[in-house]
Amino acid sequence: SVKDNNGTPLLGVNVLEKGTTNGVAADFDGNYEIKVTDNEAILVFSFVGYQTKEIAVKNETTINAVLIEDLSELDEVVLVGFGKQKKESLVSSITSISPGELKAPTSNLTTMMAGRVAGMIAFQRSGEPGANNSDFFIRGLGSFGAGKRNPLILIDGIESSPTDMARLQPDDIESFSVLKDAAAASIYGARGANGVVLISTKSGKAGKVKFDFRVENRFSSNTDNFKIADNITYMKLANEATLTRDPLAPLPYSQNKIERTAAGANPLLYPNNNWIDQLIKDYTWNQAFNLSASGGAEKAQYYVAGTFNVDNGLLNVNGLNDFNNNIKLYNYSLRSNINLQLTPTTEGIVRLYGQFDDYTGPIGGGQRIFNSALYSNPVLFPNVYPESLSPFTTHPMFGGAETRPGSGVLAQNPYAEMVRGYQVYKNSTLQVQLELKQDLGFWTEGLSARAMGYIRRFSFFDVTRSYNPFYYSSRRNPENGEIILNVLNDGSEGSIGTTGTEFLDYNPGNKRLDSRIYLETAINYNRTFNDVHSVSGMLINLISSYQTGNAGSLQASLPSRNHGLSGRFTYGYDNRYLFEFNFGYNGSERFSAGKRYGYFPSIGFAYRISNEDYFQPLKNVVNDLKLRFTFGEIGNDEIGRQEDRFFYLSNVNLNDGTYGASFGEEFGFSRPGVSTSRYSNPNITWEKSKQTNIGLDVGLFKSLTISADYFKQHRFNILQERSDVGSTLGLQVTPSTNFGEVESKGFELSMDYNQQLSSSWWTSLRANMTYSTSEILEFAEIDYPNELSYLKRKGNSIAQGYGLIAERLFVDDEEVANSPTQFGDVRGGDIKYRDVNGDGAITDADRVPIGLPTTPELIYGFGGTIGYKDFDFSLFFQGSARSSFFIRPNLIQPFFINGSSESGLLKAIADDHWSESNRNVYAFWPRLSTQQEVNNNQPSTWWMRNGAFLRLKNIEFGYNAPKSIANKIGLENLRVYASAINVAVWSSFDLWDPEQGANGLGYPIQSVYNIGLTARL
Amino acid sequence: IISFQSCESHLDVVPDSAPTIDNAFTLRNEAEKYLFTCYSYLPKNGDVRFNIAMLAGDEIWKNDITLDDVSNFEIAKGNQRAGNPLVNVWDGNSYGAGPNNNFDIFDGIRHCNIFIEKMTDRNNARDLDELERTRWIGEVEFLKAYYHYYLLRMYGPIPIIDKNIPIEASTDEINVYRAPFDECVSYISDLLDQSAEKLPESIEDITNELGRITKPIALGIKAKLLTMAASPLFNGNPDYVGFVDSQGTALMNTTYDPQKWRKAADAALAAIQSAEASGNSLFYFEQNQFDLSETTLTKLSIRQAITERWNPEIVWSNPNSRTTNLQYYCMVPVSADYNHTLAQKILSPPLKMAKLFYTKNGVPINEDKTLNFTNETELRLATAEDSYNIEEGFQTARINFDREPRFYADLGFDGSTFYKRDSPSKSDENTWVIRAKYNDYAGSNAGVLYNVSGYYIKKLVDWRMTNSTGEPYRSYAWPEIRLADLYLLYAEALNEAEGPTANVLEYANRVRQRAGLEGIAESWTNFSVNPSKYTTKEGMREILHQERLIELAFEGQRFWDLRRWKKASEELNKDITGWNYLGVTQEEYYQIRTLELQKFVAPRDYLWPLSENTLLQNPNLVQNPGW
Repeated sequence: SVKDNNGTPLLGVNVLEKGTTNGVAADFDGNYEIKVTDNEAILVFSFVGYQTKEIAVKNETTINAVLIEDLSELDEVVLVGFGKQKKESLVSSITSISPGELKAPTSNLTTMMAGRVAGMIAFQRSGEPGANNSDFFIRGLGSFGAGKRNPLILIDGIESSPTDMARLQPDDIESFSVLKDAAAASIYGARGANGVVLISTKSGKAGKVKFDFRVENRFSSNTDNFKIADNITYMKLANEATLTRDPLAPLPYSQNKIERTAAGANPLLYPNNNWIDQLIKDYTWNQAFNLSASGGAEKAQYYVAGTFNVDNGLLNVNGLNDFNNNIKLYNYSLRSNINLQLTPTTEGIVRLYGQFDDYTGPIGGGQRIFNSALYSNPVLFPNVYPESLSPFTTHPMFGGAETRPGSGVLAQNPYAEMVRGYQVYKNSTLQVQLELKQDLGFWTEGLSARAMGYIRRFSFFDVTRSYNPFYYSSRRNPENGEIILNVLNDGSEGSIGTTGTEFLDYNPGNKRLDSRIYLETAINYNRTFNDVHSVSGMLINLISSYQTGNAGSLQASLPSRNHGLSGRFTYGYDNRYLFEFNFGYNGSERFSAGKRYGYFPSIGFAYRISNEDYFQPLKNVVNDLKLRFTFGEIGNDEIGRQEDRFFYLSNVNLNDGTYGASFGEEFGFSRPGVSTSRYSNPNITWEKSKQTNIGLDVGLFKSLTISADYFKQHRFNILQERSDVGSTLGLQVTPSTNFGEVESKGFELSMDYNQQLSSSWWTSLRANMTYSTSEILEFAEIDYPNELSYLKRKGNSIAQGYGLIAERLFVDDEEVANSPTQFGDVRGGDIKYRDVNGDGAITDADRVPIGLPTTPELIYGFGGTIGYKDFDFSLFFQGSARSSFFIRPNLIQPFFINGSSESGLLKAIADDHWSESNRNVYAFWPRLSTQQEVNNNQPSTWWMRNGAFLRLKNIEFGYNAPKSIANKIGLENLRVYASAINVAVWSSFDLWDPEQGANGLGYPIQSVYNIGLTARL
Repeated sequence: IISFQSCESHLDVVPDSAPTIDNAFTLRNEAEKYLFTCYSYLPKNGDVRFNIAMLAGDEIWKNDITLDDVSNFEIAKGNQRAGNPLVNVWDGNSYGAGPNNNFDIFDGIRHCNIFIEKMTDRNNARDLDELERTRWIGEVEFLKAYYHYYLLRMYGPIPIIDKNIPIEASTDEINVYRAPFDECVSYISDLLDQSAEKLPESIEDITNELGRITKPIALGIKAKLLTMAASPLFNGNPDYVGFVDSQGTALMNTTYDPQKWRKAADAALAAIQSAEASGNSLFYFEQNQFDLSETTLTKLSIRQAITERWNPEIVWSNPNSRTTNLQYYCMVPVSADYNHTLAQKILSPPLKMAKLFYTKNGVPINEDKTLNFTNETELRLATAEDSYNIEEGFQTARINFDREPRFYADLGFDGSTFYKRDSPSKSDENTWVIRAKYNDYAGSNAGVLYNVSGYYIKKLVDWRMTNSTGEPYRSYAWPEIRLADLYLLYAEALNEAEGPTANVLEYANRVRQRAGLEGIAESWTNFSVNPSKYTTKEGMREILHQERLIELAFEGQRFWDLRRWKKASEELNKDITGWNYLGVTQEEYYQIRTLELQKFVAPRDYLWPLSENTLLQNPNLVQNPGW
């Protein structure tokens, strides 16, 4: 049989005995039969769009060929706004990637984009199932406004959320495009300024029914979690931290307790918990199933697909309760795409899609459990006492103690917190879509019309069920040595904290409902005159309305609406000169009547030099060469805070209890007050973006394609609070204006190399990178005098971090006394800052831009596949560079008691901190403390780290079973593979996974090892 | 394609009746809410976290662990700064009071201006009768004046916001200047006069309106304003020579004007007359079924003058600042049955406050020729004679003996009695006593809720306090002005204006009499080493200053009084001390422990810093001297 390198059978491949006219074509399933003259014969496989392959017959009777896509053929069709275009006639900057590229053992598509999609800056901050979406921005952050900054996502033309995209299965994707420049996106007018991601799903093809099946079983574990110190060190350093700030303070831990714990005395009396081990498992198993059926007849075709994914959390839940509260996220979806040929010129398409998440997990989510492992004292109590100590007690006896003797606050027992109850959430997305296409060729050739509408409803609810744990303290009976338990919170006299319960209670959570209705109608014209003049035109009218059922205020409850008229006109001459004009004319209900509509035009030119006559001699080397240029303007109406729906109206709360007062003898006469959360401003209008793109496409030796783009974006009218409004004006909220301006620019590069190395060996390599920087041109900020000009944000990147310059730690108290005053009570071993403005005091005015931007400026990826006969092996590396992030010292401050939590000690702090006996002025952690030290918690270079990393993102080893084997077990084809993601990471930072940045105490990014199988029946 | 016109209307999603600010003034009912909004910016002075004066000076100390988010206390510890000022009332972004506990006082002024402007228009709230309309406007004029006064006391010269600047104003219009101090005073004073004419003499509808502003309140604040303006900090203070703004306008007068004291005295007298005419009088606790001793009755008169709800001495108390939490923080366990959450006792008056009070003879401890207090750590055994104040047979510091009733009424200490209505003996004999050494029931071995000086504030706890899980405290509205305060203001101003005349003695002696003391002349003549001190203006000034500090102790007045008298640089540079709260035995406990080497930098610390950011934002503002 003949397949492509994804294992898909190829229909109609031409099989020819070399040097003869003896040839056949492969059938629908890629099967062929040919009689050859002798064993010396060589078979030549050729197919449009694929590289030709030759295989010697020798004595084989079954010869399976794998054909590789030929990138020199540019007939490829690419999704563009409201339509499709041939790649060769593209003028604008569009990244189109094959769905196979996005396959990996993860049930979150967004995590696959970094380094694979040229032009996309993406990073993942958490690995928690259900909360592990990557953040992604097209060509970097374009704006610093409070509104939308991530791209518009359209799946089959339906406006979708990043989570919708995350749940999409690569198996169901037909094509995937990212519109990056103004010419591509201006047709989306008000919504396209941050770029557009276009995805279309598969539709059925006429023919007999086919079943495709994929199953994966995944082993998932933390890439790199934070590490905590052992408990003996913990107690010793807690004592040190107490004494080092106040030599007279009572010690939290007695020498006796430390020694007994170290000697391994009874852990019920001398608790010694490693909360991470007790709360978090080393690994978990996840499963994914995907099944589709497609086929149809001439008049009707269908593609029906179902998905079932199970993602488990890493929580170490044992059978203490009869409910399981580890994280379990079931995700199922059903998609049905049906194409109907209603008349010879009319096509109707019905798409139905339902996507459902069923989540069970601990109260507050997995991130909270990871946090609580660090924020709980490990030596105050055991997690739970064995039942044998009190056989008649009918509830779990969790360990407990006051945070400090007499505080009246129970210390947090993270184990009890984890197992005390569970949270359930369920969300559903239902979409019904109808599309009609009418060929109007009977009126005039090349004319057609189209209409598409959809309704999309989303619903969400969550519920928590929990009991209040009973906490016990223990002591030894001096007479018989037995352990006596004493309940702390049974509600009797002297009981502290919430009284325990043996029964579950219920707490309804959020319920969210929203609805979107959308309708677009279009006419298209597409025709080529005299073989050289190709002309097309399109006009589209669209309206949409969105409402949410949980708005919280009258204004937010009103529908969000867009209306627009868009168009595209192209002219191509002889496939050499291409010209394109696009526009969007859009209205948004957010602005006052006169400012509602914005007009967003763009133009583009392309020159295909390789089609010039004079170029033909070079064509064997440079098979394609195209220059592109586009320029245009796009808008953004999703600006400002979400609750500021109508800038032209004031927002007043006429019953605000916070602003009320009470009078009377018994204080009984109360009235609420009046507050304003927005003053009206009819002048506020669109945020706008002017974008320029210069691109170059080169094809070399028919196997290597290179695409390079330089881009520049000028974003202006960014909504910002006025900086000159001082407090003396007495406004409750600072008014905003369209003021800010940003220029961002950069370039991106992608390379693909596909080559048949020999009759058995083939390879396909790819690399791409995106580099994007920004500079603030106008920012509503104080007009700083020259000597403070370093405080300006103007001139810096949008994501620039600011902070003090930390020189080192103070040597001793004397040095502190002779240095500029800093923050709070500073001692030797605390961080010493540079007095930038030389005023003898370290203040906010000494903050300067430090480090690189906090979102990466450079994202890159490279890798490839090498194949030998039926085997293939892929590797993919992904990296990120040119970013800084800041450790948040307040989050890892050890021994700090805050309410019921008391923070643990990171191993990194235990190993490397300043102390009286080791006055290392460059130690990782300053002088210990049991409090938050305001001086050391200032944002500064001390806590700044380089965010660059390179990770081995993906490995896959696959085997496509020969047809003979597949057929034996009743399959048409079969692929088995082993794959992995997030296998290794290299960076200069080692406290936790560098990609998580400042979010290191959360749920770690997951390494996944997978065994999978795809089959077609 | 759908016609474009219909799509225009597709975008008109806002119904006509969406609420706007005009809806707040259509009906009386709505306007009343706006009136209350103006009230809501009154600082919550009955809360130790929000009353700047309670923890930012030297009157009350505390440990560093509890209430560790209180920025006032950071000021007391010398950590004020211009970079990001503590208690930044000017910018309203600090832990303060008012809505959301921010001191957004300029927002409050803007609300007042809106209210006055809208209500002056008779087309608004047409269902409001003229009398009530006038009264409401008067109340809001008062609030506007009070908010200006509040800023003036902290910052000195301030911008006068008489009319609101429009939101869309240009930068030049928004960038206001600070007005010279005297101009601010006369503006506020005129506004108070204007409001007093519109205000009622007293509240008739006590069920619904007690706590609303009346005429005596307006006149009382005017008296406080003018006394402050006549005081040395603001009246001819040479430290402020050269305090000019960017236009060259001098922001402070630097020549002393004695006439200001005369105005202050007149204002104080007017306030007293108005208050007395409305039924105000000094509070005396009435004998009851428990048949209390004279000593106890005097102490209850002193305590309940503050803590008795709406008692006749209260000229103004703010029902939006109630005192349950304050009482929790003050109260000390008086038996082993109390848990520390109920009686947290964290507010700790330093030893200097204990020394401030007179001897039982009504003169300062270092002036009494019959009593010797020089050995601070000396101990003494209490006898039956002391038993209404100190438990008989208990040994405690000598300094705790032979003191005036206000000492025993205001302060608790190791071995002191604490009479409350729930006295186990049903009388003031053998009543509750305090045990304060480390392991005792009121001692500091109590987690985070411990006292650091060995003194406890009884003064602010209502005598009905009980050890119960329901409502252990009866909260009272925080007294902003007591009649005793006005009497002492009048005596002080009159002495400055005309020397120690009979009226000066008369008004000060009224306060002393309630405190169970002889008059100034008798006390000094008979007991002071300086018997003629009261006969000179300067001597009388010192006497009246101390009288005021004692009478108004722990009420958040000392902080401001020390400032206006320019005495803060002396007083706030002394060490904060207390008994050794970690002491277990008598010997260990009665050692003097230094809690803080307090620092006050003059003249810098007399006025609040403006934040550096605000100065950059509005270059027309100038920083206060020294910052």
